[in-house]
Amino acid sequence: MNMFLYEMKSLRKSMIIWTLSMLGLAALYLSIYPSMAKDAEDFKKLLESYPEAIRAMLGINLDYIASLLGFYSMIFSFIILCGAIQAMNLGVSILSKESRERTADFLLVKPVSRTAIVSAKLLSALTTVVITNILFISLTTLMANIAKTEDFSVKLFIMINLTMFFVQIIFIAIGMVVSVFFKKIKNVLPISLGFVFGFYMIGALLVTDSSDKVERILSPFKYFDITYIIQKGNYEPLYLIIGAAIVIVSVSVSYIIYNKKDIHAVS
Amino acid sequence: MNVIEIKDLTKNYRKSRGIIDVNLNIEEGEIFGFIGPNGAGKSTTIRTLLGLIYPSKGTATIFGKNCIEHPDIRKELGYLPSEVFYYDNMRVIDLLKYSASFYKKDCTKRINELAEIMDLDLKKKIDDLSFGNKKKVGIVQGLLHEPKLIILDEPTSGLDPLMQQKFFDLIAQENRKGATVFFSSHILSEVQKMCSRVAFIKEGKIIKTEKMSTLQENSYKRFSIEAKSAINKEAFNMNGVSSFELKNNTANFIFKGNINSIMKKISEIELRNISIEEPDLEEIFMHYYAKED
Repeated sequence: MNMFLYEMKSLRKSMIIWTLSMLGLAALYLSIYPSMAKDAEDFKKLLESYPEAIRAMLGINLDYIASLLGFYSMIFSFIILCGAIQAMNLGVSILSKESRERTADFLLVKPVSRTAIVSAKLLSALTTVVITNILFISLTTLMANIAKTEDFSVKLFIMINLTMFFVQIIFIAIGMVVSVFFKKIKNVLPISLGFVFGFYMIGALLVTDSSDKVERILSPFKYFDITYIIQKGNYEPLYLIIGAAIVIVSVSVSYIIYNKKDIHAVS
Repeated sequence: MNVIEIKDLTKNYRKSRGIIDVNLNIEEGEIFGFIGPNGAGKSTTIRTLLGLIYPSKGTATIFGKNCIEHPDIRKELGYLPSEVFYYDNMRVIDLLKYSASFYKKDCTKRINELAEIMDLDLKKKIDDLSFGNKKKVGIVQGLLHEPKLIILDEPTSGLDPLMQQKFFDLIAQENRKGATVFFSSHILSEVQKMCSRVAFIKEGKIIKTEKMSTLQENSYKRFSIEAKSAINKEAFNMNGVSSFELKNNTANFIFKGNINSIMKKISEIELRNISIEEPDLEEIFMHYYAKED
């Protein structure tokens, strides 16, 4: 418990900054929705002139774009990118920071098992994204209600927002498993940005329409198709399972490797 | 009872040599010195005891329990590394309290006592501390839970002589209260002052484990003399002289035994210059044990 509280305290600042940035982004986009909704037809025409591949890449679906949910899902693909970076940063740094800040000799000499250390740190990373998402979802729902021109389904709105939470969990797990294979990570950001943008580009380039292509499995960004959610009102079970499997495998491997890892002297 | 038992402990690194078949037993209540040049394997041995690295072969136990499998034995263990690094954005007192929270007992009184002895300002941010003051935090941090086993890895680097003395007094005090001390260093004089037994490690192997008293009976001096005329090598063919090197009018050698006998011998020579020094650590034990190998 003491480790968990300590981690939460040290993560507090970055959590606030990330949450505020994502909220700011959402507020910025939602603030232009009312004027866009007024000129919806012109806007649609403009987007129609884009090649279909580009539209698919940006997550634009013409049928829905004029509705609040459709508009939100377009801008949401950028917010989710932010969320993924936040989560990947958390995942990569949470264990590796002890070596980076050379405090491993302090913590790992305490009478606690490595398993307990990983658990406390994982739990603090998860708590951070849970808090981020609670704040983000409640405040964007409020914003959407202010920006709306006609009624929209709050349930669907929250379901769309929840996909960020799922993507974040996946990236925490990926970040953690990546970090345990490094002896020492000097700089977290290049690794986390590399992975996140890598997956984002794979998703954008390989999956140019939202059909059931197997390539989708390669990018966590494509596990949650927002058009599908708007149409069917639920998530695709297959990809929920794949996401869960990635998390379980990554976390288990992290525990195993970290438990067997040699912690070398500072130099 | 043996507090530490190390049996055939071997650690291979891919690039560099680790340690090879290290065997050590450290009894309850003793101050055990662990001496060797830098890179000999002292830290590797200690890090295995602390459960930080995993041995390739052999076992290490503390209080009869395997160091790797039983993290809870570290409740009774205090460790002071040669270089201390702590969470920079914390105040000293917060770090010490965080450290204490792992031991499930109230350490506040002891923290204050130790801080007073070591003259440490608890309210400062760790960021703002000098190297020596960070080291003091390390000392308080290592001792605040009154451990039964204290492991010191080159503890005095960065401390001024006055603080070193206070530190040694503190360790001696803990020892009198019953703590066992495992003291690693590359400075022989440091170990000589404190320890009852000492082990030498070189190139990953324990060369010898010896009682301090035995070592002290043999005082070694390195002599360099420069004479006005050529030195007769035969004159120094006496008991206790070794590593004799003669170059024109200068001679270098190590002497072990009664100082008076060698001084008499030297006084027969017309000298231009003389120096008598403590031989360095490696010289002593390499020389000392060369014969027995």
